[in-house]
Amino acid sequence: MEYSAESIVKRLVSEGLDEAVVDVHSYRKSYLKIANSEVDSVVTKFEKSGSIFCSSKKRIATTNIDSFEGKAVESAIANLHMSISNAIPKEDYNGIAKGPFKYDHACGYDKRIANFDNSLMADMAYSAINTALANKATNVAGTLVMSKLDRHLVTSEKVDAHDSCAYSRLSLRLFNKDLSAQDIIASKRLENMHVERFAERIANLARYTRKKGKISSGKYDVIYTQSPGGGLFTNVNSMACMSSVESGSFLSGKLGKIIANRNIDIYDDGKEEELIGTGRFDDEGSPTKDTQLIDKGKFVNYLHNYSTARKYHTKSTGNAGLVDPVPQAMVFKHWKRKKDIHELIRSIDKGIVVTNTWYTRFSNYLTGDFSTVPRDITLFVRNGEVQFAIKQLGSINTVGIRISDNMLRMLDGTTYSADDSTQTSSWDIGGDYYIAPSVLVEGVKVTAANSA
Amino acid sequence: MEQQEEMAEYAVSFSSKLGFDYSEAFLENTTGFSYAIEEGQLNESARIEKSGIRIRLLKNGDFYTFSTNRINKDTIRRGIESYHPFNSVSTRLSHEKVVSSSYSEKEKEKVEPERMLEDLSSIDKEMQELTGIKYRSSYAGSSTWDAFYVNSEGTQIHAELPLLSSFFSVTLKNGHESRQRVFQYGSTGGYETFKIDTIKRQIREDSESLMNVMRNGVRLSKYELARIRKVVASPEIVGIAVHESVGHPCEADRVFMREAAQAGTSYLNKGNLGMQLGSEHVNIFDDPTIKGSEGFFVYDDEGVKARKKQLVKNGIQKELLTNREFAGLLGLKSNGSARSDSYSNEPLIRMSNTYLKKGSTNFEELIEEAGKGVYIKSFMEWNIDDTRSFSRYQGNEAFMIKNGEIGKPIKNYVLETSTKKFWSSVRMLGRDFKLYSGNCGKGEPMQGVPVSMGGPSVLLDMS
Repeated sequence: MEYSAESIVKRLVSEGLDEAVVDVHSYRKSYLKIANSEVDSVVTKFEKSGSIFCSSKKRIATTNIDSFEGKAVESAIANLHMSISNAIPKEDYNGIAKGPFKYDHACGYDKRIANFDNSLMADMAYSAINTALANKATNVAGTLVMSKLDRHLVTSEKVDAHDSCAYSRLSLRLFNKDLSAQDIIASKRLENMHVERFAERIANLARYTRKKGKISSGKYDVIYTQSPGGGLFTNVNSMACMSSVESGSFLSGKLGKIIANRNIDIYDDGKEEELIGTGRFDDEGSPTKDTQLIDKGKFVNYLHNYSTARKYHTKSTGNAGLVDPVPQAMVFKHWKRKKDIHELIRSIDKGIVVTNTWYTRFSNYLTGDFSTVPRDITLFVRNGEVQFAIKQLGSINTVGIRISDNMLRMLDGTTYSADDSTQTSSWDIGGDYYIAPSVLVEGVKVTAANSA
Repeated sequence: MEQQEEMAEYAVSFSSKLGFDYSEAFLENTTGFSYAIEEGQLNESARIEKSGIRIRLLKNGDFYTFSTNRINKDTIRRGIESYHPFNSVSTRLSHEKVVSSSYSEKEKEKVEPERMLEDLSSIDKEMQELTGIKYRSSYAGSSTWDAFYVNSEGTQIHAELPLLSSFFSVTLKNGHESRQRVFQYGSTGGYETFKIDTIKRQIREDSESLMNVMRNGVRLSKYELARIRKVVASPEIVGIAVHESVGHPCEADRVFMREAAQAGTSYLNKGNLGMQLGSEHVNIFDDPTIKGSEGFFVYDDEGVKARKKQLVKNGIQKELLTNREFAGLLGLKSNGSARSDSYSNEPLIRMSNTYLKKGSTNFEELIEEAGKGVYIKSFMEWNIDDTRSFSRYQGNEAFMIKNGEIGKPIKNYVLETSTKKFWSSVRMLGRDFKLYSGNCGKGEPMQGVPVSMGGPSVLLDMS
């Protein structure tokens, strides 16, 4: 017999614990890998698992749970009691959110995605591959993901909530001889997955120019397309979480201060229904919110769960994770916009267009110093025109430049965006989703391999 | 576990009945606990209990994997039946020996939760006393990994390993300046491998050194930085360089573009295998047979016996890391490099313990031989391009070398160079040697597996 989430919560409270949260996830997810212009393999996962959080006299403990059968639940409960008895009080812990809550976010999903099978995925993958090849791609790689998730959260503070989500995502990397381009299309609705149009666009980007050249190290204006630019700005949301702020973030002590270009707004949005990764409630049942973090350049909010909000005499922003606050999804807006990326390109004298990055690493989270490595087609712009694709290392199929910047400087130096906001993601940041336009960041330090 | 093993055997026999050309089942149970302390507060007291099964099937060249934590006949049957042909490339597995084996490592010292928490608290208290400390955190976890592998060729393997990992971080401030440092430790062993005094000493010494960098460090001009020719790199720098710029590019799935979309490719391709990569002093190995190490295993996740591989011999690229799929493609036997981070993910080609072979020179002689240059001791930020050709290691602790002696600390030294330049510049090898723990990420979904990386101190001549 399986235990329900409610019965586990009741049991924990009846055994003397002050609070309990049981979060049950059931999901079916498939990853189809494309390699060398073929479907390479498919991995399908089917799981039902959960996590339990509990507290007693400011002592907190967590456990994961893989099975809801009697023996496994008994073992998890015994483990929690042992953890609580060994724990030392967390003096700044202030409890979980007090329900019940009303959720105004709909709990629906696209049944065509939710009921996916491998043949639907293979059809979509071959549509993308064939379109790419027809548009002169010489090699096609990528991943197509289909996912359906059901969630049930019960807490000892009168929360009993359900949520469901289904989405599809295709990441394609297309090669055109010694140049490549990569991007992501993702949606909660199958009708938005225009894989052929998407593949054609990436194939055209990979052959945007056949001219190749080298640049010198120095300062450049950098245009980031949506995926790499938005991916970098998601660091604002993670560093705005109170747990990050306490542990040393470039946003520590910045509340109420101008930290970005006056035309920038950044939100942490848990309510945008089309945005993958958002949901009706956070990990303690508080309704998710749309929290503005940056308002016309001013940093205006930290992200809290119930406990940190109480500590700092404010309200939860609906960002509870199992223990610490976590961001929802980033939405970036810029009020000085050019029509499209071509107009952004025409506006700069000496610059670089970055279409993908990876290995973004911080040398210091407190200052925000980081570097990141552009990959795939990266264009050099002079006098408003694309001159060539940057290739610093001759025959090796790589760009060979590195960007060294600081998050606060980058926020300040972001002077324009294009009017091309879209939902996207980046492998570099672990697959979170966000809405962002292409942006222009002025005066970025770039090192080039030939002068390193 | 016995009942679950029956389910694994059932998965293989049911797959054979359905006409799959090959099948395998991998069953995993992990149990343990972990603690995390931040700023003196116990932030995490977690129990780990994870079990599940992965079934991989091959039919007409299609490689299909199904995983679940619902280990029962009905779910397994539905999972196998969820395969639909997808007209894949023709995957051909290498022919490997059929094995029936069992291996385990025992904990010499088993840790109770109270003891681990006490030790973490003790380390946290010492960190609190560090000069300039702004923020501190500690984590430690202990678990037992129990696995059973069976395939349709008749191979059966039982494995049991104790796993221990710990992680510490400090943020130090001096006026407006700050530096951060992380310390990571891990082993396939019991609590006897948790060397609390060594951990405390390393955190204290490195923190003092970082404070010294902030207090007394100098900033070199662009002109001075551009003129640095001789660099002595520590085992920590050598370790990350070995891992990122040699280990990853030698993974056959990158070389042959299977990982091109996400984890990236390699400067190696089928046309340049065996290329001259470095000077004659460069000998690099990947060795999963080092007992007690983070990357230790006896059989890989495809039931192939693990062995030591020489990736670079006297500066020439020698062997690739392979699994059965890429060994099959190359007409070779697999060298046992298939690993997954969990039953729920497919095994990929991964490193284990990767290192540069040490030499015979004293550290002091390396510095003396350098004469004038830089000693780079540790890093915080690093990165590399997707072909692994162009890397950067930020000198968290770096020092000038003047007249053959270590001098003032430098605040702004960054070693940024191409892979070929780095390894071609190796002139002398120290006789010191150290392996550092790491968690290596690859794939989609991202998989992190425990590894180690290291080597001796080396003298680089970047002229």
